[in-house]
Amino acid sequence: MKLVINGKECELLDVQTIADVVAHYGLTGKPLVVEAGGIVLTAEQWGSALVHPHMQIELVHFVGGG
Amino acid sequence: MRDLFRIGNQELSSRFFIGTGLFPNPHVQKEAIKASGAQVLTFAIRRINLESARDDSILQHVQDEAYTYLPNTSGARTADEAVRIARLARASGLSDWIKVEISANERTLLPDPIETLKATEILVKEGFTVLPYITDDPIMCKRLEEAGAAAVMPGAAPIGTGLGILNPYHLGLIVEEASVPIIVDAGLGTVSDAAQAMELGVSAVLMNTPVAKAKDPVWMAGAMRLAIEAGRLAYLSGRMEKKKYASASSGYEAFKLN
Repeated sequence: MKLVINGKECELLDVQTIADVVAHYGLTGKPLVVEAGGIVLTAEQWGSALVHPHMQIELVHFVGGG
Repeated sequence: MRDLFRIGNQELSSRFFIGTGLFPNPHVQKEAIKASGAQVLTFAIRRINLESARDDSILQHVQDEAYTYLPNTSGARTADEAVRIARLARASGLSDWIKVEISANERTLLPDPIETLKATEILVKEGFTVLPYITDDPIMCKRLEEAGAAAVMPGAAPIGTGLGILNPYHLGLIVEEASVPIIVDAGLGTVSDAAQAMELGVSAVLMNTPVAKAKDPVWMAGAMRLAIEAGRLAYLSGRMEKKKYASASSGYEAFKLN
């Protein structure tokens, strides 16, 4: 499926939910936050949140800052 | 002496908020945070680099301690962008505190006061504990307080400059007028700046670069902690009046040898 992840077009095979996308990048269990189609999702929602072709997904995390 | 202050529903004893950027490595950062005695840590939110396997999330280095997390909205140029970042931060489940930081100018990184006020209004309505970073303008600080900010954070000087408090007169006015905690955020360079801020009566100080970019960040964190405590005690003590001419400590007329 074609998706736009962190601003880049990607072709991911066998992904149906946000949890699948997170797993695809090996990020399961890591502290991160997901926004999909403009909606912020809590970790509990990832398993049931379906991805659609060309969906815009942001995978973000906390970095050092002041 | 127990000298606590409150932000939102959190009672704090440390008046040093420390940033987590720019440290030479995670070990030094962790030790510096420890030396600072800080209870509140700031950090930023960025896209994960999906091409690199490196785990550069800040949380893996500090998660074992009990801190209050203050994520910032740095990188936002508008209220809408700041609100979006704030929502992402809250979805982490770590904190509903948010430092609103909206810069409209890349060279100075000075906050956009109009967008900052807008974002503060929206985020307060959404139930966030909002700490806006703002210019040292007394009226603007009051407006943010009225909009529901839990604390207001005027800058001493532009972010990362280390120039110290450029307008102590304004900062003093801001403190006089405020009924929420005032936290000096950005622009401090060394211990005398931190002490001066506390002497002016602010509730706390937020620093990152002056600690992280010191030759020895751990020592500097400890030094800043002492400066903040000293400045706070001096403020509570009430300094002497300044005088134009000398006045001898033991009296001058009392003892003459002729």
